[in-house]
Amino acid sequence: MTPLDWDRHPPALTPGYFSSVTRSPRENLIPLNPTTAELTGPVFGAQHIGALDGDLLRNAAGPDELAIGPRIIVHGRVLDEAGRGVPDALLEIWQANAGGRYRHARDGYLAPLDPNFSGCGRVLTGEDGGYRFDTVMPGAYPFPNGPNAWRPAHIHFSVFGWAFAQRLVTQMYFEGDPMIRHCPIVATLPSAEAVDALTARYDPANDRPMDARAFRFDIVLRGRRTTPMEA
Amino acid sequence: MKQTPSQTAGPFLHIGMMPEGGTVPLVSPLPSGDPITLHGTIFDAESAPVTDALIEIWHPESGWARAPTDGQGSWRLATTRPPTAPFVSLWIIARGINTALQTRLYFPDADWPNDPAMAKIPRARRGTLVASQAAAGAYHLDIRLAGEAETVFFDLQGGDDQ
Ligand SMILES: [Fe+2]
Repeated sequence: MTPLDWDRHPPALTPGYFSSVTRSPRENLIPLNPTTAELTGPVFGAQHIGALDGDLLRNAAGPDELAIGPRIIVHGRVLDEAGRGVPDALLEIWQANAGGRYRHARDGYLAPLDPNFSGCGRVLTGEDGGYRFDTVMPGAYPFPNGPNAWRPAHIHFSVFGWAFAQRLVTQMYFEGDPMIRHCPIVATLPSAEAVDALTARYDPANDRPMDARAFRFDIVLRGRRTTPMEA
Repeated sequence: MKQTPSQTAGPFLHIGMMPEGGTVPLVSPLPSGDPITLHGTIFDAESAPVTDALIEIWHPESGWARAPTDGQGSWRLATTRPPTAPFVSLWIIARGINTALQTRLYFPDADWPNDPAMAKIPRARRGTLVASQAAAGAYHLDIRLAGEAETVFFDLQGGDDQ
């Protein structure tokens, strides 16, 4: 397994994101050769995907109802560092509604809930590592982190690869959003390139004309170390 | 290609990872084996309970399971005892954790002192990974994200090319 690439991942302690201060280990991570335990992982399949799990426009909507907000398609591929597609990777996704409000007991933001939107989805990658889901563009929302902090529009992702050591949780942002450069959580990332890697691109070639705009977001998981033979 | 960066799961991870209905439960079958319960509390640097975390466990001999922490920062998981391994793997996320934390729970009655991983860990810190037996078939391990008796966390790397 390749090590975590600290040119890409945020360090544990990032004082500009207040919540990290009391929740970040101060000791260094200890490098460890994974055993079979960590080089395998749970296997999920089509039986774990409900019929509407990949359609957030409809999966919490009443009959003949739809979620409110700009209709979008999010798609891309899950890859390893060698660029190979990861098939049967499970993606769990969650997001705020178009007004920036989560359907969660602890979210008290002023923006109203949408009775037809839960913000929860789940998809499995295909043979080439490809995935897609339909949803609404999430709204920006404020969060407690100093006098005035806002999250850019974003979608949360939890990704399972083939190994437990590949487990990833991240967030996807949207190309052109002016809120990205003001966000203290985005600012935990170590470089502009890392921010760019989390920024989905508008992808008009995959729009559904007169229906929904497409955004492309590829996800690269840690992988096997390349052997000299392959290099 | 370069790894996709991690970001915190934030405070609302339950929406996507513990959905309350509308889809199928995400479970992996329990291999046959002795049923056990694992539990503990997650504490922050000030020893306050972390009430919005999520923990996952995995071992090929005992399957996969996940649980959120409750209002007291406590988690509880039903699984099976791996017949041959001295540990199960743990993965922890929460608001404020920028990159998910990986660690292990060792069983106190296993031969954990001779596990190869222990040699990589300063002696004084090894105990942070060893559960205590709370009852028959029940093991307890507190996780301390920072501060005194900080849990040992790992970066798993190498090991797959020998
Ligand atoms: Fe969020």
